[in-house]
Amino acid sequence: MNIKFKTPFATAVAIGVGVIVLAGYFIPGLISLRFLFLRAGLVLAAVALIVGILNLFAVHIRKMAQNDDNSGYSLILVFALIATLLIGFFDMFQSYMFGQPNFQTISWLFTYIQLPIETSLMAVMAISLTYAATRFLRRNLHTYAVIFFFIVLMVLIGTLSIFSQEVPFLTQIRQWIVQVPALGGARGLLLGIALGTIATGLRILIGTDRPYGG
Amino acid sequence: MTVTGFTGIVIIFLFLGSMFFFTLTRDQEKERNLRQIPAFRRIKEVIGLTVEEGSQLHVSLGRGGFTSLQSASALAGLSILQEIIKASSVCDSPPVATTGNATISFLAQDIIQGTSEAISTEGHERSSVGELVGLTPFSYAVGTLTTIRENQVSANILAGWYGNEITWLTTAGERQSSPTIAGTAQLPAQAIMYASASEPLIGEEIFTAGAYLGKKPMHVSSVNTQDIFRWILVVLMILGIVLKYLGMHDIFQSILMGVS
Repeated sequence: MNIKFKTPFATAVAIGVGVIVLAGYFIPGLISLRFLFLRAGLVLAAVALIVGILNLFAVHIRKMAQNDDNSGYSLILVFALIATLLIGFFDMFQSYMFGQPNFQTISWLFTYIQLPIETSLMAVMAISLTYAATRFLRRNLHTYAVIFFFIVLMVLIGTLSIFSQEVPFLTQIRQWIVQVPALGGARGLLLGIALGTIATGLRILIGTDRPYGG
Repeated sequence: MTVTGFTGIVIIFLFLGSMFFFTLTRDQEKERNLRQIPAFRRIKEVIGLTVEEGSQLHVSLGRGGFTSLQSASALAGLSILQEIIKASSVCDSPPVATTGNATISFLAQDIIQGTSEAISTEGHERSSVGELVGLTPFSYAVGTLTTIRENQVSANILAGWYGNEITWLTTAGERQSSPTIAGTAQLPAQAIMYASASEPLIGEEIFTAGAYLGKKPMHVSSVNTQDIFRWILVVLMILGIVLKYLGMHDIFQSILMGVS
């Protein structure tokens, strides 16, 4: 699945479409053209999704053939992919041919398999984050690390209630940390990110950065 | 056209003009004096190590797509991937790229193939390894863990859009004793990276890879332009505070509300 773009042509198309879409944000006359290109982009992204899933399938078939420690996981993935696809087709067939309620089996799969798995992963994440915070202090014992760790600790204690009682002093400190230094810092970072985003977008528009064709 | 639209166009043209100005009047001495970012120094180190060991780099491009606000992070990740391929052209194995977005996986494959061809490394075995590993945040993270744990991967570079699930990727890298350099534009993920990655890219640092890894003139100019605009924003914010204190802040509010 190796696609070769003709670089100059691809660059010209990318720059042209990019300029029109950008201008569409500021010039009302170009709004319809902007939406046309954006809709075309969405359709292309959907096609890319189908091809991407085929790529995922091919990669895991290849991994299964390697017969290493992880090939069992690839087998499960391929099996789940085919089963979900078949159930989806079966649901679609039932819905359109016999007027059954829409996509009941697929909904069941998501509600009783995917959702509980993702919820348990979310719970594991809380442990992972705590582990990361403690590892951070062990790995980098410098001033910023100590400040970082104690602020995390203070905000956590201020958020959790101990023995069903809130500690008023800690709650106030937590509110101050969240509303003043944390909010200010986050806004500062966001301004920097916005400037970085503008720079990246403009470099792509003028063809200096070309995330296609190498 | 609204005042907001006009202001937007003016800012974009000023930004672009400034980038061209700095490129044309560039001073190579100043380029060498760019602020040190430890994460980029570490990336160069791990590329060198990978070439020596004959191992493989893993570049994770996150799960951000092209049709959303997450696109800038994804594009920055692709830019980092491109620079890494150029820098590791003599390496036996090309980097493996993982992503949670189909469009980005296409572009990653195309970059690996295209850049390898452009720098004439056809002699090497260069199959394009740009994998779509999962479409939801958790499936992407779990799928990427398998790649991180592969024996051949000696370092991980995470550059793209992530949520809190990034903690698994950074922790897995640490457990494998492979350095993990991570950058994203999402703030909660940045906080996690700061605590758990070997070297984090904070704030807009993720967007400056071209200037630090490739030393491209336009990239260095865009870093200079960002610095200038940052100071302009600082001055405007202080001015806004003073005007508000004096009760004359309506002028800024009119601009922000888009009143023509």
